Order: sequence, then structure tokens, then C-alpha cells
Amino acid sequence: MKGRGLLYLGAAIVLVVYPLVFSGAFAERIGALVLLAAIGASAWNILGGYAGQISVGHAMFYGIGAYVPLLAYRLWELPPLAGVPAAIVLSLVLATLIGFPTFRLVGHYFSMATIAVAELIRIVVSNWDFVGGAIGLMGPATSRTVFDLSFKSSVPYYYLFLGVLAVVLGVTWQLERSRMGYYLRAIKAGERAARSLGVPVRRYKLFALLLSAAFTAVAGSLYALMIGFADPDSVFSLLVSVDMIIVAALGGAGTLAGPLVGAAILVPLREYTNSIFGGGNSGLTYILFGGIIMLIARFEPGGLMEIGRRLAALLPRAPRREVRRRAA
Amino acid sequence: MLLEARRVTRDFGAFRALAEADLTVAEGEMIGLIGPNGAGKSTFFNCLAGDLAPTSGSVHFAGRDVTRAAPEAHARLGMGRTFQVPATFEDMSVLENVMVGAFLRHPGRRAAREAAEAVVERVGMADIRHARARGLGTPGRKRLEIARVLATEPKLLLLDEALAGLNPAEIVRAIELVRQIHAGGITIVIVEHIMEVILSLAQRVIVFNQGRIIASGKPADVVEEPAVVEAYLGHSLKRRPPR
Repeated sequence: MKGRGLLYLGAAIVLVVYPLVFSGAFAERIGALVLLAAIGASAWNILGGYAGQISVGHAMFYGIGAYVPLLAYRLWELPPLAGVPAAIVLSLVLATLIGFPTFRLVGHYFSMATIAVAELIRIVVSNWDFVGGAIGLMGPATSRTVFDLSFKSSVPYYYLFLGVLAVVLGVTWQLERSRMGYYLRAIKAGERAARSLGVPVRRYKLFALLLSAAFTAVAGSLYALMIGFADPDSVFSLLVSVDMIIVAALGGAGTLAGPLVGAAILVPLREYTNSIFGGGNSGLTYILFGGIIMLIARFEPGGLMEIGRRLAALLPRAPRREVRRRAA
Repeated sequence: MLLEARRVTRDFGAFRALAEADLTVAEGEMIGLIGPNGAGKSTFFNCLAGDLAPTSGSVHFAGRDVTRAAPEAHARLGMGRTFQVPATFEDMSVLENVMVGAFLRHPGRRAAREAAEAVVERVGMADIRHARARGLGTPGRKRLEIARVLATEPKLLLLDEALAGLNPAEIVRAIELVRQIHAGGITIVIVEHIMEVILSLAQRVIVFNQGRIIASGKPADVVEEPAVVEAYLGHSLKRRPPR
């Protein structure tokens, strides 16, 4: 535990000083995007990683998170930030509505149902002029007040995202240690056995979905605040959901730090491959991502965190800890 | 009566897996269910535990009608079960597995951990409490399942072939554990294929064949009934053919 605590402290220090060490627009932007991807993947991780309910439709919550603040600006010229609570509430309502019917389904059927709902919402948004149709929505072109959170540099976004990520990880850490965390892991391992031990499976799945949806909406809002624009393809598409899954799975689904580890590897890789392949061939990036998914599924479903855990188990234990264990 | 099942029937399409099975279990009893494969024991077990809703008939537990109640409601009322194929939570440690059960009566993490530690000690798994369930062999998994359900503090324990797949030495240990649990005041219904186990543990035996109960009574009497010999045993246990 002590070693892990030091590791987390080290990681926190690295994250805080990153923009001070790696200055320059590209590095700062990459840093902010890594944190944003980590927030989205951590949010997905609550439902997909801990509870084992593989949602492939989380883009619906991300998209709502992105659209509602921009809609608040377009309709009433409010700072987009003011629309974030409404985005969270709307995501919770949607999560409740889809949670009841879809949680009757298990495994691949649940995943397919989430894809269907997310695609349905994307198509509706793409054809609904009230929310900008296929063109999407814009945020304020220039910063009117500080509440617009419109900055030229990526550094303020970086620290904003870092704060939100700290909250998401803090909640997840607390969840991991609570009854709900144990129940979610039990549900993931075997619903029938969990129910036989008194776990109200559907209720806890719904709790996980609500928490996950709320944080995913926040991630979508942060995206809209930073980019200042959202259209159906950029926030509601299937690839947005796939991104969250790959990031969490590479790092380690069902682990606290896995999504951050996955984001730290995949986001720079994506930016790099996008720059190589160019905008016209950005789909090739997803061929690379597909390869990564196959490698994870075939060789290490536990992701990089599981590899780290195995390597750590090979290290000789500290003598004091061994003595303490024997004494116990 | 702690458990009362009346005329429980379960159909799967046109196939009747269980036909009008009755069972009454008083507090403190240990009852064995036996029968050949496909006789309806597990279907009956699943109907008692809430995993399957009977097509007709009723199940009452602790004075409540639980015929259509979910398995988690059964657990809350004090009915615990194990599975024929151990369903341990593979990526969780032994202690964490047991804590999932302990949370039912102890919502706080510390209290659940303390309760789980006590159960793990009681079933003799304290040395491996931090080992992952994935790394346990069949005896360890079976024992862990029992530990996990004990942590729910059940009044009635349904053991579904808890000794299957164990070697003779492990069976002796498992029988000792079941006796110890029963002596602790927990009522037990056990499905088992190993006749010696049933004969040494159960106070009453119920024999299933082709979805029906064909005999019930004291073990020594039941195993001599011609219908049981014909359907299940193949020969009298008193006149065991030479090996």
C-alpha cells in the first residue's frame, strides 16, 4: 500500500508540473486532451470496468454534455458553463429511461442495445434543426466574461480538467472501497451468484449507470468548453464511445488508474497517427486502435495495470511487510 | 416450519422437469436430496432458492410466500445457497468474496470485513484470505462458496453438490465443515450424489426420479426401498457387490 501510495503521489506531481515542463501549444494541448480522455474513460469505467456492463453507447451522454451548454449559449446567450448542470440532469434522466429496459439484457445484448440507443439519438440530433442539425452548435466566438471559460492557451483547460479528473478518481476510489464497489465487482463476476448473496443487481447496475452517465456528461461539457463547437459526428458518434472503451481497456478496465494510463498512451498516439495519416485518412487511426483491442483481448484483458500488478508481484517483498504478515 | 414447498411444478416448454414436489423443513434439520442425473433435484433446488419461478405450486420460507420472490429477497430472509459449479468471484480475493456476503447484514466496510474475517477463520481459509479466487482449486472454491454464503448469516443453507469433485481426504474435511455449520444452528438441505455422505449427514432423505419424489424418510430406510434401488442405487447398499 505504501508503495502504491508513493506511486500515486508521484503521478500527481507529474500531472501538476507537466505544463511547466512541457511548454508549447502542441504539448499543452496534448496534455489537456489526455486528461479529457481520462475523464471520459474513467466515467465509462464505473459502468463498464467495475460493473462489467459494456456500454458502447456512452457517446449519448458525452454528446448531451457537449450540446446542452452550447444550446444554453445559443438560446439565451448564457455562459456555456451554466448549461453543465442541465446537461448532467438530462443525462441522468436518459440513463434512468434506458437503464430499466436495457438492464434486462446481459452481455452482448446489452452492448448492442446501447449502440442502438446512441445511434438513434445521433440520427435525431443530426436531423433536428433546433439543436443545429448536422452542422452542430458553436460556443462564444470570443471570451465575453471569465465564465465563458474561453482561453487561447490550453493550460487553463489542462488544470480545469485535472481538477475534474481528481474529483472523478476520488469518487471512484471511494466507490471501490464501499459496499457498492464490492457489489459492482461481484455483479461483473457473476450476476447469479451475486443475487444469491443478496445483491440487488439491477438497482446497483442503475446506480453505476447514473454515476457513469453524469461524469460522461461532464466530460462532454469540458470538450465543448475547450473546443467551442460540437456536431453530431464529433460528440455523438460511435467512435466517441469506442475511444472511451479502448482507453480504459488498454490501461485496465475496473482499475482506478487504468483509464489515465490508457489515455496517456493512446491520445498522443492518436494525435501522432492523425498527423501522419492526415485528416482524410483519420479512420486509419481506428484500424490501429482495433489492433490494440485485439491484442488486449487476446493477451491481457486486464490491461497494462494487470501487467504492472504481475510484475510487482515478482519483486521481492519488503522484509517488514513479510514479518507483519507472518505475525498476523 | 422454516421451509414449506407445496406441489412445486416446473415446466420447460412441453417438458415437465419437476412434478408436484413437496418438502417441509423444520429448523435445525439436515435433509438430503438424492436422485440420478436429470431427476429434477437441481430444478427443485432452484425453485426453492428463487432462481426459477415454479410453473405452479408454492414456496414459503420463514412464514413468507417466496414463490415468485427474487434470489436476493431469499438471501435477505435468510436462505443461502451454493452452486453445483462453484460461482466464485474470480478476480476478487477470498476475503473480498466473503465480504460481498457479509455486506448483507453489515453495510459498513469495517464491520463487513470483521464479519468476513471471522467466517474465513471459521472455515479454515485464513491463511489464503488474500489469494485470488481464480487461483484456488475445486476444494478451495467449494469451501469459499460455503464461506461466502455463511457470511450472509443464513437460517437455511442449500448446498448443491458441495462435495462433488473432491478427493476422499477433502470429502472428510468437507463433511466435518458441514457438520460444524449444522451444529452452529443452521438448517441444511443438501443435494449430493455420494451416498456415503448423505447417509452420514442427513437426518431425512428425499429421492427424486424423473421429476417426481419417489421416496422420503430416514436414510437407512429409504436406501432399502425397491423403487429407490431400481431408479438410483442399482443394488442394495447392504448387499454391495464385490469390487
